[in-house]
Parts: sequence; C-alpha cells; structure tokens
Amino acid sequence: MNLLLALAQDMALASVPAVGFALVFNVPSRMLGYCAMGGAVGHGLRFLLVSEPVRMPIEWATLLAAAVVSLIGVQLARRLRAHPKVFTVAAMIPMVPGVPFFSALLAIVEINREGLTDALLQTAINSGLRALFIIGALAVGLAIPGLLFYRRRPVV
Amino acid sequence: MLSAVVKQVTLDEPGQREVTRLCVQAALTLLQHGAESALVESVARRLGVALGVESVEVAIMANAVTVTTLSGGQCVTTVRRNEDRGINMHVVTEVQRTMLDLEDGRLDRAGVAERLGAIRHFRHPRWLVALGIGLSCACFAALQKGDLRTCAVVFVASMLAMVVRQLFAPLHFNPLVTFFAAAFVATSVAAAAVLLELGATAKIAMASSVLLLVPGFPLINGVSDMVKGYINTGISRLVFALMLATATCGGILLGMAVWNTWGWS
Repeated sequence: MNLLLALAQDMALASVPAVGFALVFNVPSRMLGYCAMGGAVGHGLRFLLVSEPVRMPIEWATLLAAAVVSLIGVQLARRLRAHPKVFTVAAMIPMVPGVPFFSALLAIVEINREGLTDALLQTAINSGLRALFIIGALAVGLAIPGLLFYRRRPVV
Repeated sequence: MLSAVVKQVTLDEPGQREVTRLCVQAALTLLQHGAESALVESVARRLGVALGVESVEVAIMANAVTVTTLSGGQCVTTVRRNEDRGINMHVVTEVQRTMLDLEDGRLDRAGVAERLGAIRHFRHPRWLVALGIGLSCACFAALQKGDLRTCAVVFVASMLAMVVRQLFAPLHFNPLVTFFAAAFVATSVAAAAVLLELGATAKIAMASSVLLLVPGFPLINGVSDMVKGYINTGISRLVFALMLATATCGGILLGMAVWNTWGWS
C-alpha cells in the first residue's frame, strides 16, 4: 500500500514537468495530455523498477521505461497523424539526469580552480558517467520501436 | 487518387525545379525546428516521390541541407543554409501532416506549396510557459524530497529565469548568452532565499531552479541521430548541448560567487 501511494505521488509529480517542457517545445495543445501521460507512465515505471522488490540498475530501468513510452507513442502517433517524437521527447524530460549533469560540469570547473582532489574527481566521474548512461538509455529506449518493429517502414 | 495521376506524367524541368524547392523547404523547416535527421530525410523523400520525381537524395549537415531530385535522367540539386529557429513541435507536425495529406491524395503540388508557405510559428502564451516551467522545477525539487518552502523558492527562481529567456529571445542574443543570464538569475534567487533563511534546503533549491536549462531535447536528439547513423549531425547537436550546459555552469558559478553561497558543493 505504501509503495502504491509513493508510486501515485511519483507519477503525479512527473507529469507536471512533462507538460511544462512540452509548452517550451510548442507541442500542439491537444497533445499535451499525452505528454503528461507519457511522463507519468515513464517515470512511474522507472520508480517501480528501481525500488524494493526489483531493484534494477537505474540505467536499465530508464531504458525499459523509455521503450514502453515509445511503444505507446507509436500507437498514438498513427491516430494523431504526427511523429511520435513530437510528444514522447517531452515525456522523457522528467527522467533526464539534470542534477548529475550539472554536478559533473561544476566539479570539473572546481578541479580547474582549486586543483585535483579525490572527492572532486569522484563527483566529476561518477555524476558524469551516470548522466551519460541515462541519456543514452533514454535515446535508445525511444528508438526501440524503430530498431525492433519498424525497421523498413515509417511509423507514420 | 491525385498523387497517382501526378506520378503518371513525367515532370518537365520547371516542374522538377519546383518539386525540388518544395522538398528542400520541407527539410529545412523540419531541421530548423528540432526534428531529428531521420525524420527530415524521410519526409523530404516521401514528399518528392509523391510529387512525381523518381527519387530524392538528402544530405544533412549541421548548418545546411542539400536536396537532389532525379526525374527522367535529369538531376536538380539545391542547398539551403540552416539557422536554428528553436524547438517547435507544432511546425514539425504541420510539415508532416502536409506530406501525409499529399500521400493520401488530398493535396496537389500547388496545395503543398500553399500549406508549407502558410505554416505559422504557433507559440503557447508566455505567461503559461513561465508558469508551467516554474511548476515543473518545483516538482523536480519535490521529487528530490525537497520540502514545501524549498519548492516555493524553486518555483519563483525558475519562473524568473524563464522570463529572462523570454525577454532575451526577441533580442537575438546567442543562446549561450541567454542561458548564462538565466542561470545567473535562477541561482541568485535561490541563493537570496538561502541567505534570508526562508527555510529552503540550499542544495536542492539551487540545483532544481536551473533544471529548466538542461538541454534535454538536443541531448536526446543527438544520441538518437547517432544511433540511426547520422553521426555528423548527432555530434554537432551533442557538442552544442554541452556548450549550452557549460554556459549554464558559468551562470551558476557567477551567481554563487556574487552571493557567496556555495550550495552545489
């Protein structure tokens, strides 16, 4: 029950940034709902996969979550007569590792300013690699339908 | 079907020229508004074939696009320079629907020219975008277990940063300058809240309020392009995303130095 409550909260919180960034990307108004849904499903699924019973590494969880959102997006894209990326990229935004990305860059700047220390090097490499692999997982996950099912024909 | 009728007639030279121009216009419009390379290429090809040429070849570079059409043993090639116009999924959808309508026979060549020329740069209202971004970053803070006060500080900081971006946009600054300024404003508001002891957690407040500046779209598009074999455009997208992030870091550092509040470390 506790897990379900945490999941509901996670999904609700993730749907807001998906729509917020969809507004910046000028996604057409009638697709904003799908962005919210995609954001909630993706982030929620990743939350489930990394928490207690499954405990999957976050990169693999991200890959699976992105692939599921992308598969749903492909089905919707036909109906909406629009490329799935139009609304699935906005749905990925809540999963983009912004904090590790900036942490790594700031640590590199800090190394330049104060000299190399073990702590700074650790932050730079750990955060940087985490950001790199999660972003890779997001992009590859979104490409999964094209890689597996739509190899020689267009989605829309 | 209209497109079937068009296909039976071999195009004359002026006709082929016009088709080439329409293909490059569609490709350029997509590229300028944040479509990935695979989509740019496939839309230009399908548009050309549906308009009656035998084949369309597309070469995409970081700041130009080249289209060649083949028809009746004749080639027509044209190049257009690409200037980034900012991500606009509405425009991408309109170009794609024009192509789909042509394939379904609801449009002819003149109709395509008219539709492509009539695409307007739809934008959501500014206040709504700023509000949405404020709420988004507040939710990011909540996802990092920030309390209500922290979220409120992040809401104000990121909303103001978005307003800065909107104010800079019509002045045609380089995006690097815009991102630097927005990061400085967001960090300053968060730092001020920490200094005034408004009850915000420094690390979460400062980190979440700049998340509107993470170049998520170019990062995902860049990796996507490279996965699909467009290594060149992928690299240029990723390098540009990295430069935007570095400019953002500069703004964060300036903000932290001015207020002497080192929330990130």
